[in-house]
Amino acid sequence: MLKNVFKRFSWLLGLALLITMLAACSEDDQTQGSANDSGDEGTSEFEGSLLAWAWDQNFNVAALEIAQNYFDEELKMEIVDSSSADIVQRLNAGLSSGTMKGMPNIVLIEDGRAQTFLRSYPNAFYPIGEYFNTDDFASYKIAPTSYDGKQYGLPFDTGVTGLFYRKDILEEAGYSEEDLQNITWGEYVDIAIEVKEKTGTAMISLDPNDLGIIRMMLQSAGSWYTTPDDEINIENNDALKLALENYKKLMDSEAVYMVSDWSNYIGSFNNGDAATVPTGNWMAPSIEQAESQAGLWRVAPIPRLDIDGAKNAANLGGSSWYVLNIDGKEKAAEFLGQTFGSNKDFYQDLVTEIGAIGTFKAASEGEAYQIEDDFFGGQKLIYKFSQWMEDIPQIDSGINTNGIEGILEAEMQNYLKGESLEDVLNNTQEQAENQFK
Amino acid sequence: MNKIKRIFTYVFLSIATFVSIFPFLWMCISMTNKSVDVTRGRLIPGSHLFENITNLFQNYNIITSIVNSLIVAVITTVLTLLIGSLAGYGFEIFRSKGKDVVFNILILSMMIPFAAIMIPLYRLFGRISATAPLFGIDTLAAVILPTVITAFFVFFFRQNTKMFARDLVEAGRMDGLGEIGIFFRIFVPSMKTTYAAAAIIAFMNSWNNYLWPLIVLQSPENHTIPLLISTLGAGYSPDYGVIMTAIVIATLPTALVFFLMQKHFVAGMMGSVKG
Repeated sequence: MLKNVFKRFSWLLGLALLITMLAACSEDDQTQGSANDSGDEGTSEFEGSLLAWAWDQNFNVAALEIAQNYFDEELKMEIVDSSSADIVQRLNAGLSSGTMKGMPNIVLIEDGRAQTFLRSYPNAFYPIGEYFNTDDFASYKIAPTSYDGKQYGLPFDTGVTGLFYRKDILEEAGYSEEDLQNITWGEYVDIAIEVKEKTGTAMISLDPNDLGIIRMMLQSAGSWYTTPDDEINIENNDALKLALENYKKLMDSEAVYMVSDWSNYIGSFNNGDAATVPTGNWMAPSIEQAESQAGLWRVAPIPRLDIDGAKNAANLGGSSWYVLNIDGKEKAAEFLGQTFGSNKDFYQDLVTEIGAIGTFKAASEGEAYQIEDDFFGGQKLIYKFSQWMEDIPQIDSGINTNGIEGILEAEMQNYLKGESLEDVLNNTQEQAENQFK
Repeated sequence: MNKIKRIFTYVFLSIATFVSIFPFLWMCISMTNKSVDVTRGRLIPGSHLFENITNLFQNYNIITSIVNSLIVAVITTVLTLLIGSLAGYGFEIFRSKGKDVVFNILILSMMIPFAAIMIPLYRLFGRISATAPLFGIDTLAAVILPTVITAFFVFFFRQNTKMFARDLVEAGRMDGLGEIGIFFRIFVPSMKTTYAAAAIIAFMNSWNNYLWPLIVLQSPENHTIPLLISTLGAGYSPDYGVIMTAIVIATLPTALVFFLMQKHFVAGMMGSVKG
């Protein structure tokens, strides 16, 4: 009898034990404080060697290596190459547990994710506004890299976008290079339909799960899914309405080549299945790898939304350097300030050696930016991008962009199936408000 | 009639085989192609294999990563089997008042997703780092330790011990073997099949483990294979030829373990028949 009772309650007992364990953990968290009291917990004693985390061996990691040549002190630096998503995981684990052991002095964070970190762990990062002049950088980079009036990030590469297009295919459809300069997205869709009709080639390849094209449209008009005060801005957002109408018109036409993932996407234009690629400048190397298409590609300014004040400039991607609030922070900030923060010559090296376009405005005056790119018919690709970069409207993407886009992606399918635009926007607004307020 | 049925069976099986083998086949073909050909979906073997291999071995620490993965996987497998089978055996063979309670608590712990204990675990290893750096953050030991005691394997071995003839334990005791002797001399040899199956599962789990090593291993010289592959794909213009080469290399050990164990599967079966 007693045994039976015992048996029956054993589950309950187990549960109780677990709950106490969990409670013990959370209590521990409160008493331990946050990430900033690193001194007594971690062992990241500063011995003159800096640790940096970045991704892409041929790009960001290479940029850090070159930067060391431009720092006037002897510097020991270890650079760990990890993917951006991996860096986010590690940072989250380290900062949320307050265990700063092994955390880097310098870390690269994508602009779209930076606010989440800055707001969640306000004391974990070291403000570096004193080490460089924010006015020297493209203004659109400042909002995502600063928080609460303090500058935390040193703006690095730009995600300035352009309209890469196949000159030969567009000419076949009757469009000259001039016809593609400073067009609107509405005009782009019209051209798309024409190109498909006359040449049989799709205008663009799109992944239905990637709304990058909507982001570019929105930003060209200086608008976003949220307002600067973090209010959800969907229902009454005229720019978004126009963007979705353009998107639907494009998707309803035959002019879209559907892809399902990134390699598929790159393959589509390497294979000649898409006549244009409206995206960030970082796509250039992937376009250039199809050597047989050399000389056929050109780049024009990204289309803009047909709204007053909209610019033919938008951003997609890009990242910035951050300094963690641990031993060695002054040294790390000095290093960044002296190199990425102010050295024009260094940026020339970046362009010639790794093709990285920074957001340091004075850099575009240098010689390296004037290089003509044969793959693109002798266009001054780098210079063009650096000029468009300065026009990019500044927006505050807040912390909920990815979440809202997830909702929008699902609702978009209803819109494409024929639901009214108003209903779709209302539903998205409602869901987003429920989820993020 | 029977013949037609057979033809259909074979056609269906052929299609199913092709569908399941195709990704692997494509992976092997892609490792011989340039990145641009991989994205283009080329299905013919190319001549770029040597370049891909040199590129992979020169620019990335793939050998270190393989060695790390092997160390972790082998030690984890051995410890997991030892601890899991000892516990499973104990739970089934010995009588104790509270054993069902303990067992239930153990099973309950399977319900907690790893993501939920990740941060506390990381804190724990942060503390361990301060006193015993050899087992702390950024060591292979930190990857091995939390994964060797899993409720799943205790459960797995307890279930399988139910099929083990208890009389053998009694016989062993009569012949003067100690409890540990009984376990190692009688139980282990007659449960080879179970061990082989468990070894495959444990090895694969450890080899493919990503989230915990990702967080706890920071220095590149400690990275395991999945971390390296994740890094390879992180560039703005990833080299898919090189990635495919790395994945093929990473797949080999698990395939090898599986085929080795398959042999033991048969041997284990025969052993248990004899026993």
